[in-house]
Order: sequence, then structure tokens, then C-alpha cells
Amino acid sequence: MDDDDDFFTNLDSGNDHFQNRLRNAPHDDDDVPMPAALPLFEEGEGETPLQQLIRHWMNERHAPDVLPFAEDVLSGLLDHIRRQSETVQLLRSDPSSSEEEHFRTMLAQTEVERVKFVVRSYLRTRLFKIEKFARYIMTNPEVQQRLSENEVDHARRFAKLTDQHFYVSVLQGLPDNQQTLDDKTPFLPPMIAEPDKSHAVFVHARQRCPPVRLLDGSTLTMQKGHVSLTPYSVVEQLVMRGEVELV
Amino acid sequence: MAEARQYGDLATQLVLESRRSIANDLLLKYNGELVRSILREQRELDKLADSPDVTPAMLIYQTAILRNKRCLLAYHKHRLDRLRDMYWAVGGALPHLLSNPDIRSKLSPHEVDFLREYSASVMDYRAGFSNELDITASITQPPKDLHVLVRVARDCGVIQTELGSIDFQKGQRFMVRRADIEHLIVQGYLEQVY
Repeated sequence: MDDDDDFFTNLDSGNDHFQNRLRNAPHDDDDVPMPAALPLFEEGEGETPLQQLIRHWMNERHAPDVLPFAEDVLSGLLDHIRRQSETVQLLRSDPSSSEEEHFRTMLAQTEVERVKFVVRSYLRTRLFKIEKFARYIMTNPEVQQRLSENEVDHARRFAKLTDQHFYVSVLQGLPDNQQTLDDKTPFLPPMIAEPDKSHAVFVHARQRCPPVRLLDGSTLTMQKGHVSLTPYSVVEQLVMRGEVELV
Repeated sequence: MAEARQYGDLATQLVLESRRSIANDLLLKYNGELVRSILREQRELDKLADSPDVTPAMLIYQTAILRNKRCLLAYHKHRLDRLRDMYWAVGGALPHLLSNPDIRSKLSPHEVDFLREYSASVMDYRAGFSNELDITASITQPPKDLHVLVRVARDCGVIQTELGSIDFQKGQRFMVRRADIEHLIVQGYLEQVY
């Protein structure tokens, strides 16, 4: 019975220990200092990298446009995942590690898998939008700023690939004057898909925000914790600055 | 032509195919014949619209030309979207997709080329993260357990896992780490046992 009690106490502490490590991730690894102040985002006090990533992930999933790439958060987390996996490998291959340590590594591994899931989903959400707006992105250097190098490369290749496919499947069979892919015919939707910024989003204010101008001309000042349903274009700047999050 | 047919009818048929494909959630066979007849119609229309005398009919021709072109592009775009969905659904395993005769027979040669090059581009992108994670793995269900119990549905030979290599043979059951074999579940070699 004593053993059992011990087991659960250990289990608890093991669990706790790991969670604390995750929570304090950047601090217990002295060799990798967290970037002190990110220029664009004012990251909330006491927010862990994982929480930051989850926020970026949620924003990305709800915004109609591609948001700036959360490079620092992501690379920090990826480093952490790698180190964590290495530690786990080490512990596993070490025959002297105890039963309790094995249990802990299992929890750590499970958590790593779950973090990877969020990272994956974040990247794939971006990829989906990048492919959708590939041609728009390639004609718009301002949007390219928000993408990682890897993503811009992919957008370029994808835009070229679709153009090429349209050319060999359709356009080369048409008379010369019909071979363009950027017709701007009156009364027809344009051929280059652009993000629909009038898309409605739910925003949650993370702090007191400067007033924003609504479409009907009135202004809205959001207090911390305020939730509102507005067109994306109204809160676009606030989202980019990290003052609100999309929910 | 025997039956009375308006300009644009063929394009409507083509778009209807896309709609059917959405409604049934199926990839239909590439309708190359219909595409070619629309292209023929386009050239016919172009000649008509090009005539030197300006008549009210020109407006009709011009509208038909624009509409046909958009319908053609929309049809191809819709197919590309479907192909990309299928590609991601099997975790980026292109050979798995292309070796399926049923799917293969529905693609036009250009679409096969597209898939190959698309896959190459995605693999390039993926390589940027290869140290940490595989971005082509599933994103529909967050992982709950580290290990899963699987039943082998088709022989898939020797696979490297964290506990050494396992020879998966049909009918056997294994308890393995999800991350090691997830792609095999997606491709139908293994079945998860609950």
C-alpha cells in the first residue's frame, strides 16, 4: 500500500515537474536566451512560448489573410522540441534510469507530440492560405514580408506551377488574345484571388486598445477582455500588433 | 450541328461536372473531350468576333468567349484543389496515390505532372523542418497517446521504429509508437485497433 502511495506521489511530482519545465522552458535552458523584446509583438507577461504559439495558431486559423510568421516563437520551440527529444533518447538508452524516470519520459514524449501537432497545424494553415493566394502574394512584396523564406519559395513555385498547368491544359488551345490569366473584365470577379478582408471575425482584446474606426464611421475602444464581432479589416492592425487575438 | 445548341452550353456541362464532384465528394474522370470541344468553340467564336463589321451579335460572342474561358479555368482549378486535398490526405505519399490505377485513370497527363512538381515543392518546404517534425503528418486529430495498437492489413515489409525494426506481416498486431507508423495507417497498410 505504501508503495502505491509512493507511486502516485511520484507520479504527481513527475507530472508537475514536467509541466513546470515546459512552462519555464526558456528559463531553464541557460544557453538559449529568449529574444528579449520582439519588435512587432508585445508578448504578454508570463506567457510561455507554447501559449504564444497557440495564440498565433488561433489567429492564423481565424484570419482571412496570411499573418506575419511567428519566427522567433517557432524557432525557440523547435529548438526546445529537439533538445527534449535528445534528452528523452538519452534517458531511454540509459539502462540505469529508474521506472519513475521512464514514466516521466513518456509524459514528456506525449507532450512533445502534442506540441508538434500544434506546430504542424500552424504551418499547414499558413501553407493552405499561401497556396490559395499564391498569385496575389507574388505580385505583392508587402505581403511577402510576412512570410518566411521557405514559404515565399513555395508560393513562387506554386504560382508558377498552376500558371503552367492552366497554360498547357487550357490557354495554349485558345486564340492568342485570350491567353492572359489576369483579366479584369467589368462585372466579373477578378482572376487573382485576394483575401477577403471584410470577413467577420471574433476578436478578444488582450489589453486596452487604441480606438478603431468602424465601417459606419463610428469608433470603438476595446477594454481588456472585451469580445467583439467585426470585419477583419477593422482590427487588422490590432491583430498584427498582438493587442487583440482572434477567437 | 443537328440539335440546336447555344454557345456556352458545353461550358455549363463542364461546370456541372465540378459541381457533381463537390456534391459527391468524388474525383471524376478528366473530361478531355469536352474540354477540347469547348476550345474548338472558342476558336469558332473568336473568328466570329473578329469580323470587320460591327454588329450587336458581337456582344454575345464576346460574352460567350469570356464565360467559356472562366468555366474552363474554374474546372481545372477545381480539379487541382481536389488533387491537393487527396495528396495531403495520404500524408504526401505521392507514389501511393499514383500507383492506384483507379485514381490514375481519372487524371490527365498534365495533372500527373502537376502533382509530381507540387510534391517536389512541398518536399522542399518540408525539408526546412526535417530535424524536428514531419509537417505532412495528420492534423485532424491531436495525439492522445504515444502508442497505438495496430493490426496489419497489408504486408509492408520491415519498418524502422524507435525500438528497432519490425517486420509487419498481414494479420499481426503490434503496439507501436504512433509517430513511427502514422503514415502507414494513413496509407491503409495498418489499421488502428481501439
